[in-house]
Amino acid sequence: MKKIETNLADLKKDIGAFYKPELHHFIVMNAVQTGEKMELQWFFSDYAFPCETTCFYALISPGEEVPSIKDIVASAWVAEAELVDLMNIKVESTAKGFVLEPDFESGPLLKKK
Amino acid sequence: MGRQYEIPVGAQHISLLEPLHFKFTTENERIVRTDANVYYVHRGIEQACCSKFKFRQVSFVVGRVCGLCSISHTTAYSQVAEKLLKIEIPKRAKYLRMLVIELDRIHSHLLCLSHVAENSGFEALFMKTMQYREFSMELLEAVCGNRIQYDFSIVGGVARDLKPETGQLILQRLKNFMPQLEELVGIYQHNWTLSLKNKGTGVLTREDAMRLNVVGPFARAAGLAVDVRNETEDLLPWKEVGFEMITDTAGDVHARNMIRLREIGVSIRLIRNIIDGLPESALLTETKAFPDGEATVRLEAPRGELFYYAKGNKTQVLERLKIKAPTFSNVAGMVHAFTGNEYGSAAAIIASYDPCLSCTAR
Amino acid sequence: MKTFFNTIGNLFRKPVTTKYPFEPTFKPDDYRGLIGFEESLCIWCRRCEAVCPPGAIVFSQDMEGKQTYHFNRAVCIYCGECVRACPREGALFQTAEPAPCALKAENINNGWNKLFDEAIESRERYAAEKKKKAAEKAAADKAAAEAKKTMEGDEGMNPGNN
Repeated sequence: MKKIETNLADLKKDIGAFYKPELHHFIVMNAVQTGEKMELQWFFSDYAFPCETTCFYALISPGEEVPSIKDIVASAWVAEAELVDLMNIKVESTAKGFVLEPDFESGPLLKKK
Repeated sequence: MGRQYEIPVGAQHISLLEPLHFKFTTENERIVRTDANVYYVHRGIEQACCSKFKFRQVSFVVGRVCGLCSISHTTAYSQVAEKLLKIEIPKRAKYLRMLVIELDRIHSHLLCLSHVAENSGFEALFMKTMQYREFSMELLEAVCGNRIQYDFSIVGGVARDLKPETGQLILQRLKNFMPQLEELVGIYQHNWTLSLKNKGTGVLTREDAMRLNVVGPFARAAGLAVDVRNETEDLLPWKEVGFEMITDTAGDVHARNMIRLREIGVSIRLIRNIIDGLPESALLTETKAFPDGEATVRLEAPRGELFYYAKGNKTQVLERLKIKAPTFSNVAGMVHAFTGNEYGSAAAIIASYDPCLSCTAR
Repeated sequence: MKTFFNTIGNLFRKPVTTKYPFEPTFKPDDYRGLIGFEESLCIWCRRCEAVCPPGAIVFSQDMEGKQTYHFNRAVCIYCGECVRACPREGALFQTAEPAPCALKAENINNGWNKLFDEAIESRERYAAEKKKKAAEKAAADKAAAEAKKTMEGDEGMNPGNN
């Protein structure tokens, strides 16, 4: 796994420069709690052999809004909607309520204090 | 422009096996827009794996994510845990894992095919496919000791050995199945009634498959050669046992049926090669280490690419486990491929996606 | 035409299904069935309880320290992890016998949860009792030692009083 650090401001630029639809495919987004901050990860994988998994990651503070990569990767809305509901992250132009009912306890996958 | 109607399908519907909800906007019977809701069975398995269970027990927990691709989940988790523990498993264990994954693929593909036949209105073919599927369930029971929850892969290797007589039984049953498979290929390929509902419906082009990052038989039917078995070699030696990529170009329901039937043929060949060339070695690599660092694993489940991410913190309990099921990647493609089809074909198209919602929602 | 003859032929073919409860179905010899326990061989290490994924094994302990093995066949997933973890060959083993159905009278879920909690509690009680006894013993030993010491000291202090 190749890890590339990025930040929220450069995220779209970095992923836009990296992602070629005929070479890579987007796997999923993931969030890992590291202390107070949250590490957001975007996973991509090659179509070729031997295939390498590339991970872009950015550290975010609680409540920070994450830019959406929907206009670069068309299928990213599913992963973004999942993180909004399960990890209680704010993503640009993504509403709550795709994964869980709107009145569900928000962020069920967050670590209990 | 005609009047638009909104037709809901699901979450409880006669043609759906799983809690899946589609809202079709139709105009003169044609679907112009689709909204999907795929999460009705969120069970919090990721949270349970990172809080309640020790890392060795998690391989049994993730087996319960999905009933059909149970072995793919346990194997993918075992592999990611082995990466965290930095151990290499014996070769025989790798071969046995591949054997069960391929047997599982046969039974899962036959199940999907039977449901496509049923949702296309061909009940007799549904019964026939289910009848022929029974042999794979019995073989899985003979190898793993259970019909559905295999619990075969454990962290460090596999739980049971393959007895020589079970190997012979598998070869014998596969030999009996070959004419049945040919019969099924004939029916799915040439039956006129089935072709009315299947040919030219639910088309996904190669460009769309690429743009929407579709995986599995759904993508391969559209001509996108994406198969983890073709892309990785380090964890399971797929090419060593003769894996061959199968693709089609049409991208419709019929192409998906044919992809699945041809993949069953490939699986049978792989199983024969695995049993013939089964190496002699131990089954387990023992270690007293604790998982540390982070790792990812991709594995080809019957429905497509399965992705596991895990992070350890040198304790018995994992810091984070992320499961990405194949259907999760296909949601965007699923919604897209309905557009322009008749509402009457929707049931067959849904079945041809082979959606596994309890995997997706976890 | 072929379809027609097939249809006629199907009328005389044997059914694929079996009359299950009256006829046996396919079952391999090493089917994953009930977990057996041989008390005389058990070394009471409780390793099976620690590895069991669903928590279907629990040991309770009475005040004399004697442990009892409890197993719930409805909670068990028959993975055989306990058998692999067992350090003593033959103490735990997996049979090919399928588990019988759970009956309402057995109260297998709530009853088990209660039993599980009670078993853990009984072990804690025993451990606490043991600790208390050990502490008492240590205190008694210490007191005895001190008494001895003071006696010795007394003796040492006042040698000529006797």
